[in-house]
Amino acid sequence: MRMFLTGNHAAAYGARLARPQVIAAYPITPQSPIYEKLSEWDGQGVLGARMMRVESEHSAMAACISASLTGVRTFTATASQGLALMHELLHFASGMRVPIVLVNVNRSMAGPWSFWSEQTDSLSQRDTGWLQFYVADNQEALDTVIQAFKISETVLLPTIVVLEAFYISHFMEPVEVPDQRLIDEFLPPFEPPFKLDTDNPASFCQVVSQSQYAEFRIQRHMAMEDALEVAEVVDREYRERFGRGYGLLECYRLEDADTVLVTAATIGSTARVTIDALREEGRKVGMVRIRLFRPFPKAKLIEALNHAKKIAVIDRNLSPGQEGVFCEELKSALYSRINGIPVFGFVLGLGGTNVSPLHIRKVFDIAEKMNDAPLKPIVNIEDEDALGI
Amino acid sequence: MVEESRLDIQCCAFEGRAMRVRDSVREAGSGTLSSKRGPKMIEIRLQGRGGQGVVVASEILARACFEEGMYPQCYSLFGGERRGAPVAAFVRISDSKIYLKCDIDHPNHLVLFDKTLFDEKEILERVVPGGFLLFNMDEYQSDALENYTVGTIDALEISKKNALGAMVNTAILGAYIRLTQIVSLDRLLKVITETVPGAIDQNVVAAREAYERVSII
Repeated sequence: MRMFLTGNHAAAYGARLARPQVIAAYPITPQSPIYEKLSEWDGQGVLGARMMRVESEHSAMAACISASLTGVRTFTATASQGLALMHELLHFASGMRVPIVLVNVNRSMAGPWSFWSEQTDSLSQRDTGWLQFYVADNQEALDTVIQAFKISETVLLPTIVVLEAFYISHFMEPVEVPDQRLIDEFLPPFEPPFKLDTDNPASFCQVVSQSQYAEFRIQRHMAMEDALEVAEVVDREYRERFGRGYGLLECYRLEDADTVLVTAATIGSTARVTIDALREEGRKVGMVRIRLFRPFPKAKLIEALNHAKKIAVIDRNLSPGQEGVFCEELKSALYSRINGIPVFGFVLGLGGTNVSPLHIRKVFDIAEKMNDAPLKPIVNIEDEDALGI
Repeated sequence: MVEESRLDIQCCAFEGRAMRVRDSVREAGSGTLSSKRGPKMIEIRLQGRGGQGVVVASEILARACFEEGMYPQCYSLFGGERRGAPVAAFVRISDSKIYLKCDIDHPNHLVLFDKTLFDEKEILERVVPGGFLLFNMDEYQSDALENYTVGTIDALEISKKNALGAMVNTAILGAYIRLTQIVSLDRLLKVITETVPGAIDQNVVAAREAYERVSII
């Protein structure tokens, strides 16, 4: 059914369609409408899940881990400070191999207080062993939540599906909400190989020796590597059934592109408009939007960028003292195979500031004019003197 | 399918070139951002004060367009809504998927819910020439806005008369769709009936009355 939904409500529909049995969450702006919608359905008796109203995000994640260990499908949603408060338990979740699905609405971290889109909250969880998807619109938010359950339950690792504050969470758009029966066929009930079961007593998360711990860590890494292929297979199957698939990367007008923009999330949606306009002017430009951040699709990126002459990256995040995180990760991926393509790192849209097609046009202009990529990220695209162009 | 005559009121072009304009809208340069061969799209800014129903109005308008088969997108600047504070909400309407995920700086249409927010200079700087302006005033006279189609409606009088107080949104919408012909009155009234939290009959009467009374310059 085609509905007119906010990104938050699209994610809530995705969660409901996946038939989780336990949802434990705590409201926080700008994620609260997800929590409220799920609560509304709970009140109407149509949710089908046990809704646990806990006292903090830390407790929400603890409840999700415990519930998931008993072999039930588990969902939660949070943002910003809430995700940060969960941090310690995010490591527990992936270490205990529980396939929780978490929707994080990207919101800038305090201080100072702010409510707007920035990717620092989720990127700060990079090393916790969770898969991370960054989506570009409301439809993709719904579809990715459903896909995430299937991927997570196959590789036994949890997934964060990242929606940007405001540009997705509060934008309303037409969204195709799939039929429950079709989702049930796509996503069978969760049956873990091991679970807490009083008839077959077992324990999780014991104290282990050094070498046992190392083995657990490596297994988690290998599961993450497996997730690359699983995510692709699941996305392909989803496309076959529902007519919508996204790939691990979205490659847009890459054919014969000399200057390629690499970005993530909604900037990758807006950028299509700029690229269409620049193509009409005869400029050879294209885009790669990174949808899956963990595991990082290195081989695919190398393949997609192999023929680029210049690469411009736009990050809506900044690792202080270094650069944008997507830029850093991209350079790391390219370094082993491709040398000599200058990578221009731009940091735009911090704190939810606007990134319009004209800003993206400027990024292409600068990348095309400059010869050598600066060591520092470009944070001001208006000051051409400072850029030396 | 989208009805051509409704949506094709304006088609915007990238950076001021190749703007195709039909119906009552004059040809002019565009500050908006869609591609020359891309979707036909209009961008609308609704501006008022907390308590006037600006955000709900944007949702009603977008839903009505959605029900007529168009591709709308709407959002509001959230974070500061409180009674009396300035509030802005935005709608994009296109005949195909909208990829823009950014603010509307130069709308094609501007709807002012409150006459105290009227600023001629800002309108000239921001609103794309050839667009529509709707003011909540009993009358407006000036040559400065000759490049726009201007509608005026005393929406406050209508809302007060219908026991809606300062909640002028449904009256504004009635006037707006008469001015722009974006959706039919029947469609608007249906969505109002389904969306407003209370006083449904009064809201329907207010929208219909404003539809009939709006004066278009």
